[in-house]
Amino acid sequence: MKYFLYWGCSLEGTGANFLVSLKPACEALAMEFEEIEDWNCCGASVSYAGANDLSIKVLNARNLALAEAKGSYDIVAPCSSCYIQMIKVNHEIQEDPELLKQVNECLAEGGLSYKGGIKVRHIQDVLYNDVGVDKIKEKVIKPLNGLKVAGYVGCQSVRPYGEYDSVDKPVVQDRLLEALGAEAVPFPKKIRCCGSGIFLPEIDYCLELVKDILEDAINHGAELVSTVCPMCAMNLEMYQGRVNEKYGTDFDIPIVYLTQLMAVAFGLDMKKDAALNYNIIPPEGILQAALGH
Amino acid sequence: MEKNVNYDPSFAQEVFENVDAGEEIKMCMNCGVCAGSCPLRFNMDYPPRQIFQMIRLGKREEVLNAKSIMLCTSCYTCKVRCPRSIPVIDVMHGLAHYAIKQGILTRRDTANFGREFWNQVYRLGRIDEKDLPRRVFFAAGFIEGIKSTLKYLDMGLKLLLHRRMKLLPERKIKGIQSLRKMLDKAEKMGKGGAAA
Ligand code: SF4
Ligand code: SF4
Ligand code: SF4
Repeated sequence: MKYFLYWGCSLEGTGANFLVSLKPACEALAMEFEEIEDWNCCGASVSYAGANDLSIKVLNARNLALAEAKGSYDIVAPCSSCYIQMIKVNHEIQEDPELLKQVNECLAEGGLSYKGGIKVRHIQDVLYNDVGVDKIKEKVIKPLNGLKVAGYVGCQSVRPYGEYDSVDKPVVQDRLLEALGAEAVPFPKKIRCCGSGIFLPEIDYCLELVKDILEDAINHGAELVSTVCPMCAMNLEMYQGRVNEKYGTDFDIPIVYLTQLMAVAFGLDMKKDAALNYNIIPPEGILQAALGH
Repeated sequence: MEKNVNYDPSFAQEVFENVDAGEEIKMCMNCGVCAGSCPLRFNMDYPPRQIFQMIRLGKREEVLNAKSIMLCTSCYTCKVRCPRSIPVIDVMHGLAHYAIKQGILTRRDTANFGREFWNQVYRLGRIDEKDLPRRVFFAAGFIEGIKSTLKYLDMGLKLLLHRRMKLLPERKIKGIQSLRKMLDKAEKMGKGGAAA
C-alpha cells in the first residue's frame, strides 16, 4: 500500500514525535510513503487573518497538483489542520466547477494545474480501513495489557465531513487503541476543541478548554491520553503547567500520539522508533508498567 | 447624526459582496444552534447567530469590532450542526479577514499571529515555529516582546531539549517564486477583503 505522505511543518518541529513514530509504525504494516516534492505549508487554521479564502485554497491546491503530477496514490495528512485544509479544497471544487477554474487560473501562474483527482485521507482512516484492526493485532507483540487510554479526537480530524468516522460519536481511534491491547476509556469531551491554532494568542481563554478535557479524561480513569494531531498534543501537553498555575490543579498526564503507542506495541525501539524521549511529560513509566517490566 | 453613522442599511449587501462566504448568511433562520457550539462562547460578546442578525440590521461597527469574529477556534462544530448547513466558520473567518484588513485589531495578538503566519507562508512557503512566536511577540513593541519571550522561555527550552524545535532556520521552498505568483493572482481574484 503506497501513499503520498504530507506531513506539514509542525511534524518537523513541535510534532516531531508524531512523524518519527509514524514512519516505522506504518512501515511495520507494509505501508509505503512518498514525500510530495517541494510541498508548501497548508496555511493551518489561522491564515484567514492575512489571506482571503481563494489564496488559502490555491495554497493547498498547489500541493494537490504537485502530487497529482507524480502519481495517483492517496495523500495521507497526519496533521489535522493539513488534512482539513486539503480535503476542504477537494470538497469545494467538486461542488463548484467554477471554483476549480479559478483555482487553476491561479495555479497556471506557476505552471501547475489540478484536475481534482487526488484523495486526501486521515491517518486514522487508512489505518482502520486500508490496513484494518486484524492486521494491526497480528503485529502486536507487546500488548498494552488494558492500559487505560483516553483517545482524544478533537475537531478537525473528523469534522466537518465525517469521511471515515462519525462526527459526533467517533469510534475509530478507540478501535485502534483496543487493537493495541489498550482499554479505550469513554469520555464525553473527546471531541471538544482544545483551542486549536489560536491557543497561543488566546491562552487566557483557552487554558480552560485544556483543563476541562484533561479533567474529563482523568475522571473517566485515563492514565494516558492519545492524540492524532500536533496541535492537540502541543496544547494538552505543553500547557499543563500553566493550567495548574491558574486553576490549582495537579495535572501531569502524558500525551502521546497513537503512532507512538503503535510503535511500542509492535515491539519497536522505545526511543528511536516510538520517540518517547521527545515527550515532555514522560510516558515511559506508565508504558513499562503496562507492558509488565 | 451619530445614529446615522452607526446604522448602515447597505451593510448586508457589503457583506454579501466583499466578505468570503458572506452570502451564506442569507440562509440563516436564526435558530441559535451554532451559538452553543463555539468552544469560546463564554468569552464571545455575540454568538454567531446574533452576528448574522446584526449584519441584517446594518450594525456595521458592532459587527466588525466584535470580539467573537476573532475567537473562532476552527472546530467545525457549527458546520456539522447547523440545520441549514451554513459554514458558520467560513463566515466568521471571512468577517475577521475583512475587519483586520481595515485595520480593526480587536484581538490584537490573534490578528498578529494570523497575519505573521500568513506572511511567513508567503515568504518561505513553510512555517518556522521558532520565528513565528518571536515575530508575534515583538509586533506589539520591544518591551512587550521581551516580556512575552521571557514568559514562554521555559516552554521553548523544553521543546528544544526534547528535540521538538528545529535548530536551523526554515529555508524557502524551491518553488517559492511561482507560489508567490499564484498567491498574488488569488489575492486579486478572490472575493474576500475587497475594499468597501
Ligand atoms: S497545519 Fe501546521 S503543520 Fe500542517 S502544514 Fe500547516 S503549518 Fe504546517
Ligand atoms: S445554526 Fe445555522 S441557521 Fe441556526 S442560527 Fe446558526 S447559522 Fe443560523
Ligand atoms: S468553527 Fe468557529 S464558529 Fe464554528 S463552532 Fe467552532 S468556534 Fe464557533
